[in-house]
Amino acid sequence: MSEATPHLVVRGVSKRYGPTTVLDHIDLTIRRGELVTLLGPSGCGKTTLLRAIAGLAQPDTGKVELAGRNITNVPPHKRNVGVVFQSYALFPHLTVAGNVAFGLKVRGAARREIDAAVERALSLVKLGHLAGRRISALSGGQQQRVALARAIAVEPDVLLFDEALSALDRKLREEMQVELRRLLQDVKATAIFVTHDQDEALTMSDRVAVMNKGRIEQLAEPRELYLRPASLFALNFVGLSTRIPGTVLAADNGKVDVETKVGRMSALGNFQTGASVIVAARPEQLRLGEQGEANSAAGRVRSVVFQGSRTLVEVDAGAGESLLAELSGRDGAIPRVHDEIRLSWPVAETFAFPMEVQT
Amino acid sequence: MTRAAIVVCWVMAIALALFLLAPLLVIAAASFSPTPVFDLPLTGASTHWYGKISRLDGFWPSLLLSLQIALFSTAISLVCGTLAAIAIARGKLPGAGIFATALVSPLMMPGLVLGIALLQGFRAIGFTAPWATLLVAHLVITLPYVARTMIAGLARFDFTLIEAARTLGCTYPGGVMRVMVPALAPSFLIAGLFSFLASFDNYPVSIFLADVRTKTLPIRMLQYIEEAPDPTLAALSTLILAGTVILLIVSDRVVGLHRMAGTSD
Repeated sequence: MSEATPHLVVRGVSKRYGPTTVLDHIDLTIRRGELVTLLGPSGCGKTTLLRAIAGLAQPDTGKVELAGRNITNVPPHKRNVGVVFQSYALFPHLTVAGNVAFGLKVRGAARREIDAAVERALSLVKLGHLAGRRISALSGGQQQRVALARAIAVEPDVLLFDEALSALDRKLREEMQVELRRLLQDVKATAIFVTHDQDEALTMSDRVAVMNKGRIEQLAEPRELYLRPASLFALNFVGLSTRIPGTVLAADNGKVDVETKVGRMSALGNFQTGASVIVAARPEQLRLGEQGEANSAAGRVRSVVFQGSRTLVEVDAGAGESLLAELSGRDGAIPRVHDEIRLSWPVAETFAFPMEVQT
Repeated sequence: MTRAAIVVCWVMAIALALFLLAPLLVIAAASFSPTPVFDLPLTGASTHWYGKISRLDGFWPSLLLSLQIALFSTAISLVCGTLAAIAIARGKLPGAGIFATALVSPLMMPGLVLGIALLQGFRAIGFTAPWATLLVAHLVITLPYVARTMIAGLARFDFTLIEAARTLGCTYPGGVMRVMVPALAPSFLIAGLFSFLASFDNYPVSIFLADVRTKTLPIRMLQYIEEAPDPTLAALSTLILAGTVILLIVSDRVVGLHRMAGTSD
């Protein structure tokens, strides 16, 4: 299937600025029509990777291929990429239509062709009625749409979004996330988003690449990323979790027994006996009371936060450790603050990660 | 109390404006004087002196020279000053602040000192061609105006715009021409205007570098005053004044005077 053939291939790309390694041998393959998010904290290299794909930053080593073409040394204006910048970077001296037409004019397209493309792009983002407006007369959300229309109008091989939604207020941003995903799927665009917002990443993408210190820690579908985080960093960056440090007592075929300050636990993972690990579980796996094939710990409820369909319960398990449970109404009575309770969670949903060396 | 303060402010402002404008009005009035000796009240009006301007000794070569020097120095300053301003405003240049100060420093230097220094400097290196020395000297005068205006303009310019243009199919120079130049057009106009005027009416620097055959208009005008002070000079001054006013009005229409004064966006 042609859908499965690699469309954008990043191979061994590294970039250093002075003594800092910003990108550390990045490998990334994206299929045609796929929406991928580069997710990570500021300074993790995600924007630099995006700029390397756009041609605005030259990698020190490695190779970038787009649509079967090696573009490593191709300047940005010949790459056929569309970029939506965080500041939108709209041209203030041009109208909305002028901005959208810019790329086609530069390419020397015929007048009629330009007009048609501008109209199509603006109707796609529902701004056809504002074609003649000046940029300064638009709201933030409208400017965002113009930036998108401008990038789409040239029919790029890949669309790159650099924190493109972060300047919008929360409500508008959430609406745009859903709308943008639908729009990109409609036009069968291949797109890469750069963001530090995990909700945006989970909502918008087919796959998420979690980046940390210039490396991709995990590249997975949102669901897998959440349910099977590959590293402690990925676990922490996406979603909430209970994390308890401990020492491996016994290891057996992908399973370990770990001694912690709040009792002995079993978890998935491959470690040597004696290794320092962190045992973790997602909050929705924790249930009140005992269950079979499960880890459990007891403690006093520290806080109860009602969140509509769910309730977040934080439990002080003693010895400085705490448990985080997300209980739904079906689980029966929701405990109150200061209640003594026992929580348990399945071994199959408990992960062990190597203790991170503090840097 | 506040009311009184406002009244005092207005009175002072009007008095100051009158004080500044009165000599200009007197010159304009004098230029229409029917008699060689200017006397108030006027006993009639005549455009006689305007007709005499073109017959002034050496007027046309001096006007041409001043226009040439002003245009060339402005054009070169716009290019060099803008490039320098880019280097300074982008902030990647080590010691950018020092460069900026050095570039703008001739503004704070007395013209006389600058003139003598340039004369001595040019002599020392054997650079004595009058036209060329005048041009170089005027570059020193006009460059600060351009650099200062362009640094201010660029500080507000988002360089991501050029990157956006590049991803849309422009080369780097193409992006500069299609995006940065239009976005900075008001700054260019302001810088060019100030630069042109600063060069056109410069006297203290030019006087040291001019020779008998190469005299700029201001030098020539002072010479006329010494030789034969009649209303022809007033007529010429009035024309220059009118030209400047027209230039300012046109600029105001295009970008707005408040931006030129640098008081607001």
